[in-house]
Amino acid sequence: MRPLLLKGHERSLTQVKYNREGDLIFTVAKDKEASIWFSFNGERLGTFIGHGGTIWSIDVDKETFLSATGSADFTAKLWRVETGETVFTFPLDTPVRRVEFNVANDKLLTVTDEVMGFKGSITIFKLNYDDIYNQDTTPVLVVHTKEGFERVTVAGWSYLDKYIIAGHRDGTISKIDAQTGELIDSVKVHDGLVTDLQFSEDRTYFITSSKDKISKILDVDTLKVLKVYETDAPLNSAAITPVKNFVVLGGGQEARDVTTTSANQGKFEARFFHKIFEDEIGRVKGHFGPLNYIAVHPKGTSYASGGEDGYVRVHEFEKSYYDFKYDVEKTAEATANSKLNASDDEE
Amino acid sequence: MADSKPVVWAEEQDQPETIINEDGSRTIISYRINDDGKKVKITQRIKDIIVKETVNKNVALRKKWGKYGAEKGSAPGPDYRTTQIGESVTLRLSPDWKRAEQEAEEEKKSEIAKQKTYQGIKCRTCGGNHYTAKCPFKDTLGSADSAGAADEPEGAAPTDPAVSSAAPGKYIPVHLRGKAGGLATEAEKRERDDSTTLRVTQLNENVNEQMLRYELFANFGPLIRANIVRNRETGRSKGVAYVQFATEEAAERALERLNGKGYHSLILHLEWSKPKK
Repeated sequence: MRPLLLKGHERSLTQVKYNREGDLIFTVAKDKEASIWFSFNGERLGTFIGHGGTIWSIDVDKETFLSATGSADFTAKLWRVETGETVFTFPLDTPVRRVEFNVANDKLLTVTDEVMGFKGSITIFKLNYDDIYNQDTTPVLVVHTKEGFERVTVAGWSYLDKYIIAGHRDGTISKIDAQTGELIDSVKVHDGLVTDLQFSEDRTYFITSSKDKISKILDVDTLKVLKVYETDAPLNSAAITPVKNFVVLGGGQEARDVTTTSANQGKFEARFFHKIFEDEIGRVKGHFGPLNYIAVHPKGTSYASGGEDGYVRVHEFEKSYYDFKYDVEKTAEATANSKLNASDDEE
Repeated sequence: MADSKPVVWAEEQDQPETIINEDGSRTIISYRINDDGKKVKITQRIKDIIVKETVNKNVALRKKWGKYGAEKGSAPGPDYRTTQIGESVTLRLSPDWKRAEQEAEEEKKSEIAKQKTYQGIKCRTCGGNHYTAKCPFKDTLGSADSAGAADEPEGAAPTDPAVSSAAPGKYIPVHLRGKAGGLATEAEKRERDDSTTLRVTQLNENVNEQMLRYELFANFGPLIRANIVRNRETGRSKGVAYVQFATEEAAERALERLNGKGYHSLILHLEWSKPKK
């Protein structure tokens, strides 16, 4: 496969996202503009201009009408995707590390950093779609980091917007009631900072990635670790692929150590693991630095990776990707087919 | 298309002829002058196939959106400054991926190593690809130095193993090794009389020293030296040779007789290796 190289940012990428139909890719980097691209040919639709600092996170709502960004300039902004205009600016106390629209598309979750004496928090705003230029700046819910917990690095909405799942700096995952902000449960699953948390299609389970070189799949209801994927490099991102039962992990040597290692030692590859069997089944090379974020097309036809090298690479999967099956899968299918045929014969 | 616009005379004859066939395809006949200066007729048959793709209504709408931000006013279609197509990458999915990758890597490494040994190591005793010290013929063929000297094609300087072994601790530069005593050759070189040497160029690649001695210059007396300049790696002749005659008269005679004469389908060019004063 020949990847599309998107070079719209001058600094390292921080997040890459597809919209719900997968026709647009939203990318943000440590420079001050977000870029929006057409995924089928890599054409850039435009940029969101207005932030005064690094943009840490971007998300797009289910209708691709509004987009939200969280920046180090202490604000989260809403944008109209069609025109690129700033719709609203939410002021916050500290840099915004994560933004995410909820499933019902009426709330925006922001994760703020722990700096300047402020404790980090998860702040949730109610969105007003009737008059998008007038939003309520008073959050509907603020979940401060509890005593005994380290700051929240990543967070997202579970199925039906029932819970908020948060990843902490020390590797803890906690489950918070999305209505009351009450802490329901927490487990320590990693030994390092949780760098990414992405949900499955139905949001009943999620995958985490951590600096401790391990990625895990956890169940939302029980917070039980379902699957473990071990690698040999610190991980920055993990994504679950629809259609095929794979997960894609990205990471690599720490950015500060990159100059002291050669490209083939840096482990700057996207790693494909089988979701069920937990085996590494392939790698994709290409980036000259660690992969900072991986997003998979919602229909499972391609994936995009944003790297420390400032490039976004969009890879369209080839036929061999869809054809790949374990021997046990093949035999299981064959026996199922033969049984079907047998029962047909009897009738 | 050509009806509305006036056709420039230069373009007029380049207008291809288009025939629309019964099945809806087009046949385009054009003429072109090829590299040999011949006029060739080019017939192309083109059939248009329209592939309809159904996309989500919203996706279709979004494709029509105008550009904004840094892309405001830019032309439709991807811009090569921001969008490029990368080099091909492979994703071979396999449960024993790691082993396959390792094997491929090892193969690559061993191949490189093989090439290296072929190029880099050459035994000075027998010419095989091993270190001289490990040569299995070391005892039968004798020491590298004397063997090398014996092989010396020039044969001008008398080979005396005693000379080279006379100063065993003395450093001899690589390009002088194998010759009988580095310094002696150096001195000899300086003194060498080039007044009887001719430079032969435009020599056929297949001509070797033997042919020079016993064929081309056979009529001009015995040659003291006949050297063909060869590529150091491939050993192919560069088409240049130096021949030294016994006397200046013989050299002059050869120059007069052979300069401009054909030899092995090439016209020889002879000149004094050193310009005459």
